[in-house]
Amino acid sequence: MRKSVLLACSNLRRAKGQTAAIIVFILLAALMLNLWLMLAMDYKQNFDRYHHKLNAEHVTLCAQGSGEEMKAYLAQTLEQDRRTKEYCLDDAMSMVGSFAYNGGEMNTDFVVLEKQAALDRSVGKLEIVEEGGPASGVYLPMLYKTGDITVGKTIEITIGSSQECYQVCGFFNNVMAGSHNCSMCELILTDDKYQELEKKGYAPKSILTSVRLTDKWEGEDFEAMLNNKLSAKYPELRVLSNSYALVSKSRYISQMICSGVVSAMAFFVLLIALVVIASNIIHYIQENMKNLGALKAMGYTSRQLMASLQLQFLGISLIAATAGAGLSYGLFPAVNEMMVSQTGIPYDIRFLPLPLAMVLGVLGGAVAAAVWLASRRIKNIEPITALRQGTRTHDFKRNCVPLERTGLPLNLALSMKATCSGIKQNVTICVTMLVISLIVVFSGVMTENMIKDMTSFLNLIVGETADSCVNINTRAEDAFLQKMKEDKRVEKAYLYHSTEVRHVGGVGLMATLCDDFSAANNQDICVEGRFPKYDNETAVAVKYAQEKGLKVGDEVHLTVEGKEEAYLISGFTQISNNLGKDCLLTRAGYEKLGKLSDLSYYLNLAEDVDIDDFNEAMETLFEGDINTALNILSILDGSASVYVSLMTIIVVAIFILSAIIIAFVLYLLVRTMMNNRKQDYGIMKALGFTTRQLIFQTAASLMPAAIVSTAVGLTVSSLIINPLTALFLNRIGIVKCTFAVPVGFITVAGVGLVLLAFAIACLLSLRIRKIAPRALLAGE
Amino acid sequence: MKKTLLKTETLSKSFSNGGALRHVLRNIDLELYQGDFTVIMGASGAGKSTLLYALSGMDTPSLGTIVFGDETISTLSSDGLAVFRREHCGFVFQQIYLLEGMSVMDNVLAAGLLVKRDKKVLAERARELFQAVDISEETQKKFPSQLSGGEAQRVGIVRGLINRPEILFADEPTGALNSKTSLDVLDTLTAFNQQGQSVVMVTHDMRSARRGNRILYLKDGVILGECLLGEYVRDDEARHEKLAAFLAEMGW
Repeated sequence: MRKSVLLACSNLRRAKGQTAAIIVFILLAALMLNLWLMLAMDYKQNFDRYHHKLNAEHVTLCAQGSGEEMKAYLAQTLEQDRRTKEYCLDDAMSMVGSFAYNGGEMNTDFVVLEKQAALDRSVGKLEIVEEGGPASGVYLPMLYKTGDITVGKTIEITIGSSQECYQVCGFFNNVMAGSHNCSMCELILTDDKYQELEKKGYAPKSILTSVRLTDKWEGEDFEAMLNNKLSAKYPELRVLSNSYALVSKSRYISQMICSGVVSAMAFFVLLIALVVIASNIIHYIQENMKNLGALKAMGYTSRQLMASLQLQFLGISLIAATAGAGLSYGLFPAVNEMMVSQTGIPYDIRFLPLPLAMVLGVLGGAVAAAVWLASRRIKNIEPITALRQGTRTHDFKRNCVPLERTGLPLNLALSMKATCSGIKQNVTICVTMLVISLIVVFSGVMTENMIKDMTSFLNLIVGETADSCVNINTRAEDAFLQKMKEDKRVEKAYLYHSTEVRHVGGVGLMATLCDDFSAANNQDICVEGRFPKYDNETAVAVKYAQEKGLKVGDEVHLTVEGKEEAYLISGFTQISNNLGKDCLLTRAGYEKLGKLSDLSYYLNLAEDVDIDDFNEAMETLFEGDINTALNILSILDGSASVYVSLMTIIVVAIFILSAIIIAFVLYLLVRTMMNNRKQDYGIMKALGFTTRQLIFQTAASLMPAAIVSTAVGLTVSSLIINPLTALFLNRIGIVKCTFAVPVGFITVAGVGLVLLAFAIACLLSLRIRKIAPRALLAGE
Repeated sequence: MKKTLLKTETLSKSFSNGGALRHVLRNIDLELYQGDFTVIMGASGAGKSTLLYALSGMDTPSLGTIVFGDETISTLSSDGLAVFRREHCGFVFQQIYLLEGMSVMDNVLAAGLLVKRDKKVLAERARELFQAVDISEETQKKFPSQLSGGEAQRVGIVRGLINRPEILFADEPTGALNSKTSLDVLDTLTAFNQQGQSVVMVTHDMRSARRGNRILYLKDGVILGECLLGEYVRDDEARHEKLAAFLAEMGW
């Protein structure tokens, strides 16, 4: 053992450059692995910790209506169900509303509670995290604390058709209604402001029901049951609801995307680190063949020599991995800030021993395996062969690119000769460039579809988008449609209404109703089969269909308010809004089950029409019959800006990391080449080759592998990027992606990568200047 | 009257050794003539190899000038010197220094193509030279590691001559060879010199030096003496005695 330690120390002293490179790679890999594991293992658990801390509910339901009778009915229903563990019913007000947020508009269903009542709740508690300044005003979910919205500032909130100005008194955390992606968002008003709003009557009185269940995974069924019972008893009732499963998943979509990207990058860097370690060992064996022979001749065993390499590489890897994991805690606050702005649940950074142990285990194991595989050659070295520097008396090679016959210019021909003789360097470059090509294509696709033009991304994540969405009472439909027909500002108006149905033998599904799905803007929703055309057809979410083993042509039974009908599955859809628990029905199809009290119409407006002005005009025109008029683009801008910032950071990080990795890999390859070919360079200089010619030859010899692997990598990646992204997003119900692949961007990026590689290789080869032919002749 | 190929004036070379300057060449004034087989002799450390590097543009002098034809090469950049070497000089090294990754033919063509673009003409010239040094077509396809020492050095000579250099510089060309092979190599060099090729050779072997027609003796960085032996004739004892007397006079 002591001998192995001595050998390892000696190797480390002699290979400072290699050691530094491996430290950097392992450090980066450990940093990202630890970050990923913390995000994947603990970040989402934080939701459960908060859920437990605030005794949060598993089902939230806000029914517009008041009176003791409804409250009693709800209480009775809850108490009769054996799944109910604890519940809380409170008076509230609810209405669609909006306020300016993040450069756009936050538009959602507000549930307004009086401060003391909210604080006194036994289930679905909230915690005030920041308070001060004004004694009268509004408390907002912590998520909305931005540069524009701070304590003491006045904020204009649209509630229904009224604009209210409130001073921000503070911020609070709430698990099930503390964000715009919970299908409802709590607002807390001080007593005076609550009574003021109540008197104005803009927001209908409501009952907020929060239910804790004995089994949290029953939430979706319980929610559907409650909705069905309420709509059966109160057909005109407007109900908002959510469940634990929906909220816990939807609040962590960006965390999932971020941790996925970080994990992919971590494994990529680890792969490069392993290639570097393996190539270093192979190089070490070649360079030190004589020493190895001498050591074997002295009595060192192969196992001792291999153990010294294990000690050397495992030692530096574990030290670098620990440092990298430590560094990840320095980076985590910035990542946490970005994530919290999406999840809305505060996360206290703390030391997590399990991810650290896993990082050390994975990296240690991978490095040990790579060292073992690369150093096995030591076993086959006979001392006498090693003492001869491992060269055979006769080395029969194939003469690649014979100069007499090739049509290539001399320098290019000599580069190709070097390429042919460097199989290991070609493999290293190929692996590097193939993986970098994949992440370049990913970056290109994300830039094109998220940063530059979000349409494809929104079509995928949001589903249907239009300029405006107007929710009207059914009785005003004819007049509304007539107006839309006459109004030149309206290019298209079509029914696109969401409601709930229940799959018999399954769970509650979000049903999207349309008169004619071919009129919808997003035709990519249907990924197999076709949209429903007739009243006995439905298209169900593909993820749900997979879970239930449903096929196109199968019959499913849907039920609403106790009525049940059979529908044929005409196709499969992908909508991530309800985490893949959706179906499409024609309006006629739905009306076999129940009546619609209100309808949502999606509108495409002419280019120059101000959407807010248009919505306001409609609200005035159909006063009393319009429940909401939403500016969809503005809402999407508000919530999408965080995704755009997140993706911009990821894309920039990917490009910087790619450049660093290319530089490192080329550094190692060029350094190895220059060590191996130092004599050749000296001879060639003596013969009259200029430094510039030798630099070109060195850099150009790396290019065939770089060009071929980049071209193949970009082509293959462009073809697989959509299926790969779909695989990645499968958890939220996406099975098919149709992101536009920016061929121009990818081509330019590919050329850029190759040129970057060439430029870096030229820069690194500048050391050739220092090789003097005289030194060669003098044996220096 | 012989044509002067290369001329030096006050050529000096110093090396810094632990802060102290070590003068290896001191104010050497020298002319090399076309068609000569010039041999530079001297004891180890006399500066003979340093003089060869300076004359051939492998190294730059610390002081003084080197003029080749009308061109002052002592002021050229390293790339300028590389171009000078490829166009005007040929080299034969003690350690031979063939490029291991290339076949014998490619070793020669790689040097040739630096100057001439016409591959056909070049390949033809290479074949002529190979024939002259008795390297078979089969051997031309081999790699350096498959050659014997003598074969490799003869290939080295062909490489040095492929561009028809004005001067062929040979640095102890037989230093790494056995006596029989050395003789072959020296015969080859002599034969090319007799065809008009100018040769400058560094050696400390008297038997090798005997091949030259002009012997320069270097001691402590200074040319101590010069001996003109005239045209080489095999088994010429008088020539041998003249050289031995010269060397004895120089303190060899």
